[in-house]
Amino acid sequence: MTDAWAVTAEGLVKRFEGRRVVDGVDLAVPGGAIYGVLGPNGAGKTTTLRMLLGIIEPDEGRRTLLGQSQPRDAGDRVGYLPEERGLYPAMKAREAIAFMGALRGLPWREGRKRAATLLEQAGLGHAVDEKVRKLSKGMAQLVQLLGSVVHQPDLIVLDEPFSGLDPVNQEKLEALIVAERDRGATILFSTHVMAHAERLCDRLAIIAGGKRRFEGTVDDARATLPAQVHYLPHAADPAIAALLPHDAVPEGNGWRFTLPRDGIEPLLTPLIQAGHGIAGLTIERPTLHEAFVRVVGAVEAARQQQEVRA
Amino acid sequence: MTRFRRTLRQTMTIARRDFVATVFTPIFLLFLFAPIFMGSFGAIGGLGAASMSDGAADKSRIVAIVAPDRAQAMIREDARLRRLFKRDERPSTLSIVAPAGDPAAQARAAMADRAYDIDGVLYGPLAKPTILVPPLSRFTGNYLEALAQATIAAEQPGAVTVTATRVTTTRERTSIGGQHQSGFLAVFGVFFLTLFLAGQVVGTMAEERNNKVIEVLAAAVPLEAVFFGKLIGMFGVAVLFVGFWGTVLGQLTTLLPPSAAAAFGDLTPAVGVPTFALLFAAYFSMAYLLLGSVFLGVGAQASTMREIQMLSLPITLVQVGMFALASAAARLPGSWVATLAEVFPLSSPFAMAGRAANSPEVWPHLLALAWQAQWVTIFITVGARLFRRGVLQSGSARPFWRRHKG
Repeated sequence: MTDAWAVTAEGLVKRFEGRRVVDGVDLAVPGGAIYGVLGPNGAGKTTTLRMLLGIIEPDEGRRTLLGQSQPRDAGDRVGYLPEERGLYPAMKAREAIAFMGALRGLPWREGRKRAATLLEQAGLGHAVDEKVRKLSKGMAQLVQLLGSVVHQPDLIVLDEPFSGLDPVNQEKLEALIVAERDRGATILFSTHVMAHAERLCDRLAIIAGGKRRFEGTVDDARATLPAQVHYLPHAADPAIAALLPHDAVPEGNGWRFTLPRDGIEPLLTPLIQAGHGIAGLTIERPTLHEAFVRVVGAVEAARQQQEVRA
Repeated sequence: MTRFRRTLRQTMTIARRDFVATVFTPIFLLFLFAPIFMGSFGAIGGLGAASMSDGAADKSRIVAIVAPDRAQAMIREDARLRRLFKRDERPSTLSIVAPAGDPAAQARAAMADRAYDIDGVLYGPLAKPTILVPPLSRFTGNYLEALAQATIAAEQPGAVTVTATRVTTTRERTSIGGQHQSGFLAVFGVFFLTLFLAGQVVGTMAEERNNKVIEVLAAAVPLEAVFFGKLIGMFGVAVLFVGFWGTVLGQLTTLLPPSAAAAFGDLTPAVGVPTFALLFAAYFSMAYLLLGSVFLGVGAQASTMREIQMLSLPITLVQVGMFALASAAARLPGSWVATLAEVFPLSSPFAMAGRAANSPEVWPHLLALAWQAQWVTIFITVGARLFRRGVLQSGSARPFWRRHKG
């Protein structure tokens, strides 16, 4: 993987029936990274990925895939797991994987060999010669995933890869994604499940209402929200409120408030001097989930306001 | 790897998948043996060829080179003798020609007539005439001999018995009737095979749409390659079908009696049998690819099996329409109908197969095959674009040539 940017997108726009489903999305996915595209249902994630891959053409904007302005010119170096899973039911698992490899330039014979190995590694060795129609939904999904990596692509695009998988298979998939990244591949995946993104992503973008609302690392995303402080004095006393920030609210025997910009220390000194002491102090950094909800919630609130005004 | 080679490889990957998925199923056996239930089509074909042959009957003549003073007697006797035969067993119309110079040379020239199929020529003294006949025209020879006898008997009752010398000669060109029969059979053969086989293509994209594989294919392969691959795959199935039945029927003809085999001998395409066989194969391929590409494009727009089933009627009607147009072209070679049928892309393979039977030039076929191949490309491209816009919900506000500028 030598490309500095595995994927770039500049002002991508897609309209369906007059509605701007994707509205000027910019993306830059560094080579060798695991990059998440996060967003609520209907945010435009799938449409964005389909435009990046050349399945559909953008109405406006430009994109490159592994340095190619025509995505299909990089086709043999790309693996893709679509949101709507699809395999030929009459094909055997091994053949299905080899077929997907063959579409991307891998010789059939080599594809079959690799398919057997991949199935074995994924714990599906017993299903090598099973027809797809006989596999469970989760197993079929894994087969399709293996089909998208059998040709050892430089870029793997996974659209909602975790949906429909049980926790065991989700863990297998996470391991596979990390292994592919370690091999040198770039992984671009969409999800609306924050836990996976938090564990896997080197960088991520949050898309809502067809626009990119955030781009950065997981830490950057979490930093968009201030940390929360939970303070527990030695004894309950309403006078404490005067020494705390304005947003402090009682919670149990203590107080909860936003961590001030200048840190916690300037607050603690007056509390100690006033004799309230510190029985407990917790600073909680926000989760990606909370950051996501805030970003998406703000978009949703703005949309609702717009609708009310209209 | 060049873009062309990659696209070709991807096309063949799709084709291979479709071929294997179709052939290795029990349903394929049902399909393969379907012709057993469709024997009636053979009867229709036979009737059509007979009708073509009848149409050519007024192009047949028997010729008598006799002195003008005997012409009237011979015409009278011919009219009398004809009445002894059933209408469809009567010999060809009699032409009387006055002798000029060398009657033998005159007879050979008559046999080479391009305007008519000459079934026999009588010349020389009526008591000892020479009769030139093409092979398998024993009846005509007998009739001309009987006509000579009757003419002499009418002039001089109880006169000498006629002793004729028969000379079998081959025509320098193919017979008009044989050409017409070959033409109809060519048109019918191409129609019959494509009616059976090309309609299958209509539902092939439904599989990918129903099981969502289309998304995987569209991401990896140009849609044109997907369409062309599916067409090639199904064409492979059709070739297998034709090969199987061609072999079976080929073996069966060896069991036919010699008289039946002789009937095939009258199928005399103008371009010659080997070239005709090659052109028939080429036109069958083009008819399949042309109709198949249209059906594939239309069928890809259908979203349910019911819609696909609904398409079967218009598909059959299109095929029958092309057959009717091409049949008319075969019946009226050189007419504006023939030209229209030869130029219109969907009827062109049928009509040109008929033309191969009626006209000896080969170069128009090369032109026609190139023309038809171009239309296959156009139909596939249009079908793929419609699919991309309508089904994959793509398309762009900008035309594609501007899009490629980045």
